[in-house]
Amino acid sequence: MNRRGSYYRYLNRLGWLCVAPAMILYCLFMLYPILSSLYYVTRKWRGMSNTFVGLGNFARMANDNIFQLSLGHNFIFMFVQIPLMIFLALILAVILNQGIKRMRGAFRVVFFLPCVTSLVAYSVLFRILLQSNGLLNNLLLNAHLIANPIGWLNNTFWAKVTIILALTWRWTGYNMVFFLVGLQSIDTEIYEAAEVDGASKMRQFFRITLPLLLPVILFSAVTSTNGTMQLFDEPNILTWEGGPANATMTAALYIYRQAFVLNSDYGYATALSYVVVLISGAFAFAQMRLLGGRDK
Amino acid sequence: MSVARKWPASRLLIWLVLILGGLVSLFPFFWMVIGTTLNPNDVVRGIIVPGKEFDLNWAKAIRNYNLLLFFVNSLKIALLTVVFGVIVNSIAAFGFEKFKSKARDKVFGVLLLTLIIPQIAIVIPMFRLFVFFRLLDTHAAIILPSVMSVFIIFFMRQNFKMFPTEIMEAARVDGTSEFSIFLRIVSPSMKATFASAAIYMFLAQWNSYLWPLMTILTDAKKTLPIAMSSMMRAYTIEYGALMIVVCISILPVLVLFLTLQKQFVAGLLGSVK
Repeated sequence: MNRRGSYYRYLNRLGWLCVAPAMILYCLFMLYPILSSLYYVTRKWRGMSNTFVGLGNFARMANDNIFQLSLGHNFIFMFVQIPLMIFLALILAVILNQGIKRMRGAFRVVFFLPCVTSLVAYSVLFRILLQSNGLLNNLLLNAHLIANPIGWLNNTFWAKVTIILALTWRWTGYNMVFFLVGLQSIDTEIYEAAEVDGASKMRQFFRITLPLLLPVILFSAVTSTNGTMQLFDEPNILTWEGGPANATMTAALYIYRQAFVLNSDYGYATALSYVVVLISGAFAFAQMRLLGGRDK
Repeated sequence: MSVARKWPASRLLIWLVLILGGLVSLFPFFWMVIGTTLNPNDVVRGIIVPGKEFDLNWAKAIRNYNLLLFFVNSLKIALLTVVFGVIVNSIAAFGFEKFKSKARDKVFGVLLLTLIIPQIAIVIPMFRLFVFFRLLDTHAAIILPSVMSVFIIFFMRQNFKMFPTEIMEAARVDGTSEFSIFLRIVSPSMKATFASAAIYMFLAQWNSYLWPLMTILTDAKKTLPIAMSSMMRAYTIEYGALMIVVCISILPVLVLFLTLQKQFVAGLLGSVK
């Protein structure tokens, strides 16, 4: 019994030994930043020195129009781009799963390809394609679809459209693969039974496919929401520093600029990041509740 | 399928959607390659026929844009992150899963809880930490914080779950050390899991932008994404050469995807079954 006990102690020590390197890194680069942010959030930086301001940083937000605008942009991108992308990804997934017999694998690869590009690389590429005298405008002008070049990058409305289109190009195939995996797990006998009962393809889609796929759809909504709340690379490069005139400024980009470009106020930037954490957390919680509720 | 044969119109629509979607998906790649052969003005104007200036653009990419240096920097940082990351995270996942204890399960719960914290919320204190360490403007500053990944530990732990503990017990009875059990018995049977984790970590690091942008100041230490964004900032932009840089930055990921499709998708989609 004693031998056995010492053996378990040995295994237990071994267990701690295994997780130790990861835990040290976790404490340094995750736990410490989280805990020390509690200090930063109460401070205001002026040059090299900083002073205690309590909740002053949060009070300052009430008058920060650009931050409120930035959050608003995050919400616009979220509520327009995510449904659009999920709709397109769903259509493509259903077509690849049931609509065609040949070239499924090839199309899967083609649609997935955009997400091998780094966010910076495709932002650079799209920035060049969308110049006012650039390729897309030339194509549209030559096809007589538009009379004047569209200001994809320098019109406050079209710049938002640009971000939405770019995000949709980059992520639709990625979500489509999720949906394909989900569709393939649906038993084909259900469809055969529905066919026998005379249900139309449309009816089958709304009554069988959609409800069974809902957990996967919600999962990709959760991850996309999280990604949209952190949107940074595209507005910084594609539409250049959140331009034109802050029309595509996002919360994450504004926080970065507060801390590292404009006035190195680490305290205020930390307070702003708390708002982002809170909002993403609230969204994640709400969507998980929805997800959990569906399982029952 | 039989419905599609009876209704050619719906079949036509399906192929129209696929071909249109495929064109939109592929066109930027196609044009990116064309762009490497054009002179700067033609790149901006979006000419779609290949030009004759590839050699000139390549020379500019090497000479003016230091392409090879940035490529080597990116590759070095990504590979070191993958090597350290796979070792540290796999051993941690193994420890959490195969030497279970209540205390460690609680620790794991804390790890998972912080998974939802977005990067933007921790980079500011972390930046101050690296100022304190005097590690700003080093490649270590990029590598160190990305070695440990809660997501990878979670992903690998899920996969270790499927490895039968009985085999480990049998090996123990035979007197095999715990170290050899991990290295010679468990790891070889989980090659796909290791490959997925490695690909995921490689992609995350190869593409990382925000943190390197904050920490790297010297030109010679920049990674490809940071280098590309400063090329866009310059007063005159060598667009043809820039297209080569963009192509080269995508190439390794493209090769990885086309050769290891299955593990690549598993790595990107994570633990989705």
